[in-house]
Amino acid sequence: MPGDFTQLSFITLFFGVVTFILVMFLPAFLELRKPKDAGPRRIEENVVSSKYQVQLASIERSEDTEADLAVIKKVANILSALPNLEP
Amino acid sequence: MIIEILEASFLVLTGLMIAYLVRHYIFTLAVLKDAGKKKEAAILENRVHVLSVSILIPAFNEEMVIGRLLQRMCELTYPADRLQILVVDDASTDGTGEIAEEFSRLHGQIEVLHRSEAEGRRGKASALNAGLNIVKGEIVLCFDADYYPQRDIVEQLSKVFEDPRVGAVQGRVTVLNEPENIVTRLVALERIGGYRIDQQARDRLRLIPQFGGTVGGFRTDLLKSLGGWDESMLAEDTDLTFRVYLSGYKIRYSNEAECYEEAVESWRAYWKQRYRWARGHMQCAFKHLFQVLKSENLRFRERVDALFLLNVYFMPVFVLFSWIISIPLFLLGPPPWLSLGWAAGIFSIYSFVGNFAPFFEVGIGAYLDGRTRAHWLVSLLVFAFLYNIPICTKALVDLFISKVAGRRSVLWDKTIHSGNGNSYIANQNKIPKRY
Repeated sequence: MPGDFTQLSFITLFFGVVTFILVMFLPAFLELRKPKDAGPRRIEENVVSSKYQVQLASIERSEDTEADLAVIKKVANILSALPNLEP
Repeated sequence: MIIEILEASFLVLTGLMIAYLVRHYIFTLAVLKDAGKKKEAAILENRVHVLSVSILIPAFNEEMVIGRLLQRMCELTYPADRLQILVVDDASTDGTGEIAEEFSRLHGQIEVLHRSEAEGRRGKASALNAGLNIVKGEIVLCFDADYYPQRDIVEQLSKVFEDPRVGAVQGRVTVLNEPENIVTRLVALERIGGYRIDQQARDRLRLIPQFGGTVGGFRTDLLKSLGGWDESMLAEDTDLTFRVYLSGYKIRYSNEAECYEEAVESWRAYWKQRYRWARGHMQCAFKHLFQVLKSENLRFRERVDALFLLNVYFMPVFVLFSWIISIPLFLLGPPPWLSLGWAAGIFSIYSFVGNFAPFFEVGIGAYLDGRTRAHWLVSLLVFAFLYNIPICTKALVDLFISKVAGRRSVLWDKTIHSGNGNSYIANQNKIPKRY
């Protein structure tokens, strides 16, 4: 057998192991005694529709923005500068 | 001389355990690196061609759960005219066939294939092959009867096939009946580690994501050219994973394609299920090991990962060996390096828990999922790991005996589903979406 266990090292080892086990299993014991986790993970349901909703919302918002009005003015200016091709 | 052999064996076994440990560290870090990225939605309108998809549902005595899956199939967001849902009733003796027929009458996209006693009851692979003969879709997906997918799962799974190199896909499995008891809670943790981290990391690192037999599928042409499912294999899914890679195609894992499963609810059922997985996986290791080493279709990193994957169920047996070897080594007078060996061994074993996913992998998976307290149970996975040691040892011994005796028997060795998950589905809408 390698080395000689003194009484002190034996006691240290014993309490070390007991403390390790307690620390290791204490959270599990607490959670099992009074579960606080919300249970099964809820799977994603509306990945497609939520993306559409975001797109629709952003289009709706963009109708009020000044940036769009500026673009419209620029287009109107270009159109007015074009020659009239109607007979 | 004996001591030298024992020393060498102990060193090799400890080295193997450390190699797996490092692998799991790399996987966890790889997933953590991507954790902040946003999910990509699967928008069908962006696609040039909407693939036609056939969904195979093999079922043998599944009357407790098949109804809820078929109801879900009718709620899928994928265009019904591009979808074929085929239930293979494998000569069930309960009401499975009648329930499927009822759905078929009400919903045109659902078809039922009834197999007689003479044709059927030869295992899941046999039922799937029967279905494969009559599928019409370009993609064939499989779902077990106790599963319950998200509504846009077909969009999520089929999007990876835009890449012509991809031959198969696997989605994420989440335990539905998790609060049922301690077994289901531990299985849920194993699933979090296995899918949220392990599979995702293998996909991210372009290694070998594994087809898990359900919540996934193949290009129909590829599957037919491979000869379908091998009915002689207990783990026909792992076998197909390697056949896909050896034929030059890749498998992708989609974490966004999520599906509930009903986990086993007793240690006895856990033993039965894991024994089947372990034995089937070992069978695959013997079948594919040399092909993997020789294959020119696999890159070096894929080959290394394939070796880890093929041998994973041998590890609990090796752990047992290392414990046995360490006792005479210690008593006969340990060599100077043994204290280091002990430390490494204990460290590896401590980390090597819960269906081979170490503590940190499961813990970080739960954290990334936004779980509040689930990971508090991680330490209990030690018991699941200890339980896996006799399971895998028995599987290996039985495999050797069957090889020597030349016995070969693959029948439905199915998990009995209680239908307890139904109440959780009914309550899903009442659960606040916290994660």
